[in-house]
Amino acid sequence: MINEKPTLKSTGKALLYLLPMLVITITFSIYPIINSLLMSFYKDYNFYTDKVGSWGLDNFVYLWNDPDFHLAVRNTLIFVAGVVPITVVLSLIIALLLNQTKWVSGLFRTVYFLPFVTSTVAIAMVWNWIYQPDYGLMNYFLGLVGVHPIDWLNDPHYSLLALIIMTIWKDLGFNIILFLVGLNNIDAGYYRAAEIDGANAWQRFWNVTIPMISPITFLVSVNGVIGSFKVFDQIFALFQGKPGPGKADLTIVYYLYEKFYTEYKYPIAAASGVVLFGLILLVTLVQLWYSRKHVHY
Amino acid sequence: MKVTFKDVRLSYDGKTDTLKQLNFTIPDGALVSLLGPSGGGKTTTLNLISGLLPATSGQIFFGDTDVTKQDALQRKVGMVFQNYALYPHLSVRDNIAFPLKMQHVAKAERYQKAEELAKLVHVDDQLNKKPGELSGGQQQRVAIARALAKSPSLLLLDEPLSNLDARLRIEMREEIRRIQRETGVTTIFVTHDQDEALHISDAIMVLNDGRIQQFSTPTQLYDRPENLFVAKFIGEPVINTLPAEKLAADLTNHIDGDILVRAETAGIRSEAIVPNDYGQGVLTQIHASLHQAQKYGREATATLDYQGETLLSTELAGLPRDQSEGDFFLTRAGFFLFDNRGELIYGGDADDQ
Repeated sequence: MINEKPTLKSTGKALLYLLPMLVITITFSIYPIINSLLMSFYKDYNFYTDKVGSWGLDNFVYLWNDPDFHLAVRNTLIFVAGVVPITVVLSLIIALLLNQTKWVSGLFRTVYFLPFVTSTVAIAMVWNWIYQPDYGLMNYFLGLVGVHPIDWLNDPHYSLLALIIMTIWKDLGFNIILFLVGLNNIDAGYYRAAEIDGANAWQRFWNVTIPMISPITFLVSVNGVIGSFKVFDQIFALFQGKPGPGKADLTIVYYLYEKFYTEYKYPIAAASGVVLFGLILLVTLVQLWYSRKHVHY
Repeated sequence: MKVTFKDVRLSYDGKTDTLKQLNFTIPDGALVSLLGPSGGGKTTTLNLISGLLPATSGQIFFGDTDVTKQDALQRKVGMVFQNYALYPHLSVRDNIAFPLKMQHVAKAERYQKAEELAKLVHVDDQLNKKPGELSGGQQQRVAIARALAKSPSLLLLDEPLSNLDARLRIEMREEIRRIQRETGVTTIFVTHDQDEALHISDAIMVLNDGRIQQFSTPTQLYDRPENLFVAKFIGEPVINTLPAEKLAADLTNHIDGDILVRAETAGIRSEAIVPNDYGQGVLTQIHASLHQAQKYGREATATLDYQGETLLSTELAGLPRDQSEGDFFLTRAGFFLFDNRGELIYGGDADDQ
């Protein structure tokens, strides 16, 4: 069986096995992707008759000139840059701490994992309360260190930060679990060897833990970048169906949603989706290129 | 550097002692093997020397310095692990230079040292590869080079050859001996393979059950085992053992009565049973029946039946095949008597007489 040569019959048989999954994938993934790519080039389009009058780059020109879209891209980039690095570093630190104290780690692992399995809407409700300017926990704790109350959800200067903080908290649990798995997979022998080689705890961390855990760090950051670029539900839930005060939390996906569901400009929504895809692809490629040198499998 | 253990005891759980009252001195510049069966305390002893494990009680000295309270970082020994533990993400050059990097030695200097060491262990053509691309023997050499990088006064090897195939094992043990001679570093070598230990060591410490059974030269270990455990553990094929009383009749005229009274077990090395008395120091004559003869390459073994006990001999190759019964001789060398505690009470001094 191992050295079997592919024949017409065996290929056909393999295709038959693959067919159920292929049908599902083509219908629900490949076809919509191709269609939305095509739709982004519709110039004149009648939704009700599904007739395309003419094709062109007009949708992309519209985006290029739309200040709302500029704002959406800017907010998305700030959001990604705020969420991903902090999530990676913070979840690694917490995972390291949990890895040190074996006896309570089970409890804390569950505690940190809870946000991941809780519905975003429920989380947003709780954070709505935490961010409440007069009675919220956030302002209470800030008050303890002498910071004046902030109107987190209604002040355009702070609402994006509020969104970033909530997202970091929500993402921590899953990433901590991933890091814990990675840490557990590092052979204790390397730490003994490093200790013999004269590496102190700090040097062991930088020369053993960091390189050995790099595949997980890579996974977590790529996953985080893609997830953060697509941020939508947290905004919708946290600001009750608005993109924040004065559009301060307008992101690309939120922009896409508005164009599609409230303004019915389908081709423009499709075009913004293509731009988002291009951005994610670009950043992921950069990460992939970086990983060639710095990720050790 | 000389290593001294004074009443060292180690207990992992606080109840049972893994190591009991260890006392020994390893002389400066020697290659010493820690030999024994699995679970005997060899690796534990090694970890105590390296500082990876703190002793429960007792004192450990390097030279004249008490290092009992120092950890592995402060003791600065070199160590080769059983699975080598080479850093998979670093090149061979960086692996060897790693201990120097930890000491903040300048890059050019530590790479120069790494290249020198790579030459010493014959991996200087592999410097840019990752450990994963090397064969087992090459990884082993890199691990030795890394252990030597910080010029340790003590080199510890924890079963370094057990992951290699038979032929490479013999080659590498010669290499370790060569490298040890060239550098003159005091080397402690853990193994469960007596062949390895007998071939490369200046001295062997046999450990079993958390105790030192014997600490002597390889020849002494074989020719004069201090107890029954060592006699049985060292030597291939395994020494013949039988209750001393079965031999009593054949020994009465040759060994002092008071020794015979105390003797519980007799040990006879397979080469100590010979067909003829050529004046090679024969102790006594026994009458036995020939059971079975086998030949494997250079080795020929025969089993004898003596008073219901089976004895194995390697010296009966030339015997006529049809002979089924006859007189055989026991030589003085390779014949031992042990008392009821397993201590040697007779034998092992054949060379002196």
